Amino acid sequence: MMDASLPPGPLAGLRVLELAGETGQFCGKLLGDLGSDVIKIEPPGGEPCRRLGPFVDDIPHPERNLSFWYYNTSKRGITLNLETADGRALFRRLAATADIVLETFPPGHLSSLGCDYAALSKDNPGLILCSLTPFGQTGPWRDYLSSDLLHMAAGGEMASSGYDEADVPNAPPIAPGGGNAWHMGCHFAYMAIVAALVHRTVSGRGQYIDASIHEACALTTESAIANYVYRGEVLERHTGRHHAAGPSPRTQFRAADGNYVCALVGGRLNPKYMKELADLLDTNGMAGDLRDPKYQDQAVITANTSHIVDELVAGFIASLPAEEVYHRAQERGFTWGAVRAPEQLLADPHLADRGFWKEVAHPELGRNVTYPGEAAIYNGSPWRISRRAPLMGEHNAEILCGELDLSPGELTMLAENRVI
Amino acid sequence: MKALAGIRVVDFSWVRAGPWATRWLGAFGAEVIKIEWPENERGRLPSTTTPQHLEVNLNTSGNFNDTNVNKKSLSLNVRTAKGLDIVKRLVAVSDIVIENFSSRVLRNWGLGYDELRRIKPDIVYVSMSGYGHTGRHHHYTTFGPVAQAVSGLTYLSGLPGQPPAGWGWSYMDDTGGMYGAMGAMTGLYHRNMTGQGQHIDLSQMVASVPLVGPALLDFTVNGRGSRRPGYPPGNRAHWPGAPLAANHRGGPTVAPHNAYRTDPGGYNDWCVIACQSDDEWRQLVRVMGSPAWAGDDKFATVAGRLEHQEALDDGIEAWTRTLGKYAATEQCQAAGVRAMPVQSAEDRVEHDPQLRQREMYLEMEHPALGRHKVQNAPFKLSETPAVNSMPSPMIGEHTREIVEGLLGLPHEELQAGFADGTFWPTQRARFPYQEEMLR
Repeated sequence: MMDASLPPGPLAGLRVLELAGETGQFCGKLLGDLGSDVIKIEPPGGEPCRRLGPFVDDIPHPERNLSFWYYNTSKRGITLNLETADGRALFRRLAATADIVLETFPPGHLSSLGCDYAALSKDNPGLILCSLTPFGQTGPWRDYLSSDLLHMAAGGEMASSGYDEADVPNAPPIAPGGGNAWHMGCHFAYMAIVAALVHRTVSGRGQYIDASIHEACALTTESAIANYVYRGEVLERHTGRHHAAGPSPRTQFRAADGNYVCALVGGRLNPKYMKELADLLDTNGMAGDLRDPKYQDQAVITANTSHIVDELVAGFIASLPAEEVYHRAQERGFTWGAVRAPEQLLADPHLADRGFWKEVAHPELGRNVTYPGEAAIYNGSPWRISRRAPLMGEHNAEILCGELDLSPGELTMLAENRVI
Repeated sequence: MKALAGIRVVDFSWVRAGPWATRWLGAFGAEVIKIEWPENERGRLPSTTTPQHLEVNLNTSGNFNDTNVNKKSLSLNVRTAKGLDIVKRLVAVSDIVIENFSSRVLRNWGLGYDELRRIKPDIVYVSMSGYGHTGRHHHYTTFGPVAQAVSGLTYLSGLPGQPPAGWGWSYMDDTGGMYGAMGAMTGLYHRNMTGQGQHIDLSQMVASVPLVGPALLDFTVNGRGSRRPGYPPGNRAHWPGAPLAANHRGGPTVAPHNAYRTDPGGYNDWCVIACQSDDEWRQLVRVMGSPAWAGDDKFATVAGRLEHQEALDDGIEAWTRTLGKYAATEQCQAAGVRAMPVQSAEDRVEHDPQLRQREMYLEMEHPALGRHKVQNAPFKLSETPAVNSMPSPMIGEHTREIVEGLLGLPHEELQAGFADGTFWPTQRARFPYQEEMLR
């Protein structure tokens, strides 16, 4: 877990107060794993998203929630009831020590608590306050309810994702899985926060950030907007491959073990490629007629695209397990990949070489848990998981007594009055 | 005021992921200098987004324009001694280097991190390769869809019993770009605080893996993999008849939770509806006009609605088919029911009232493309707004400005560099603006 011999992370020395549920907790993780001191502030009883599964051994309990564990690494945790005057007073004292406040309340709620940017920055002009909400602080949809599925619809992800009619007739648009609306919002919120931090190193001034998950999703569909803006095209959905203005060669093929391979072949076919493709397919004796000199003529290649893709390439892939196809192809310079289920990644030697998997101690359960690691290796200031997700109110005494100098008696009084 | 005012970025990146990263550095006010060479350019060509009435050439890709706003372009053959010298002079006066070549390319050109930090000790150097510079498969290559496939992202999207539907675009080019920009600015903040630069080794494939975190923990802790009956459950939170298990979408296991056809039944005439509580369900029933079928006891509980999803979804769709997707959305949301239209690109640009109010798409003039809408930032910063200030550069548009203005070389060197193939291939026709800069 934490290696004291490593230099600090790039955000070391920063304090973040996180008032975030499922929509924004990933942004706090991004900040915390890169070295910030993130204090997660939960209402007494815990963040509602502690109730979402999956749970350890499928035993539902707010301290056994794996999704909460994953998105809340490298944070400390306190409970604070902001609906009480005492809770708000403590929050304001903490905010005076903070560099960043991240909040995901409905628009206007923080302001109704007397804790908007003007109030919090009065004695802390370097404060950066980021509100990350489904639709932003303004506009006709600002108070609309949302969910990951709703963002995938409105953001354009669903309009681009689904099936060829020939594969699944009458299929609906399919919302990509994994909770990525929250990821998209959090990536952009993180970017805005760090830009504001860089600005603060020069100006000394903080600022307010109004970030919108809907806009983040609407921005994350590659060329779909450009196809419409410049050509008036609305794109069609295709199985496991790019949206397109019309039909396109398939790129997803079933391998011998029933798993799939993503092989981008169509559109790349030229005389040089044909020779390399013949060599690859010949590793399993499946090159067919690809070595025929006629395939050194681009017009013949184009006329035979369906034969090459749907018969020869598909036949080669169908003759081997997906992982075998993946490595044979990549070792010969083909940009192909196996379509893996997430659990297959644990056996990936490349991830092991990068030290990707992290063992994180959960002492209250007496076990270590393997977590996914970093997107990027920061060679001068390493990423790390500094601690597992906080238990509910785990750091109440450490922070409220240790840093805000409350007495143990005051802490008890606050607990009795449901302030913490 | 701009957040990254005074910051200069040397941008070797091409295609999508790298340019999408530097687009945001430019929006925050950094001076982004794109190093390009027309003979092996990938990003401007091949173009499938050139307006129908224009010739396809290096300056008429609409997608390139949207991906490369707020940047300058220096046309330069880096694989010549003179070109290499100019790059090194540029790095000496820059803060960030970003590249998305395969893992050993820039090092082989003499432009690896160890070389460049001798020229600029505190340089923040971000590599955005497919598999990273570390690890046995560093020489493997990716496009977005391959990174998505290998990391498990593709697998999590689709209908049970069907091939994966995956993502209909290079999600990991967009998201890889996010991590590139995040890395560059995080490295920059760290440099400003400590005086230290560093090499950041980002891998597009590896960056996908943290995005399937909860599914991975379900496996490392519970031994439950994603290859299981009824998973992934399409647009539903749970597929009827399959064992109940969390779906990793970041919401509760509920029904209704699906996409429904709307009037007039066209390709993108769908809305989604999700009820996260009995109360939200009862509200939906009222919005639908309290049809008799919805009063059946089997729909009164979440367990019953999950079990009888086929009938539930049929009943809801009979109602949504009578309405347009925006009308269905507004009626639901007005009653506190979660609903949204499935929006195509046309819908987002033309019909989405929220994006319009937030000024997501504002017009900008481009010398070759004309006036078109460009995507804006999804956040509003009170002191340092990230607004687009320049259209994408035409190739080599700023070569004179950079070579003479920034690096201080005499005009004769610019002319000599055009004559000897340093700034443009000698056999290649020049654009009028290049003739202009040679006068």
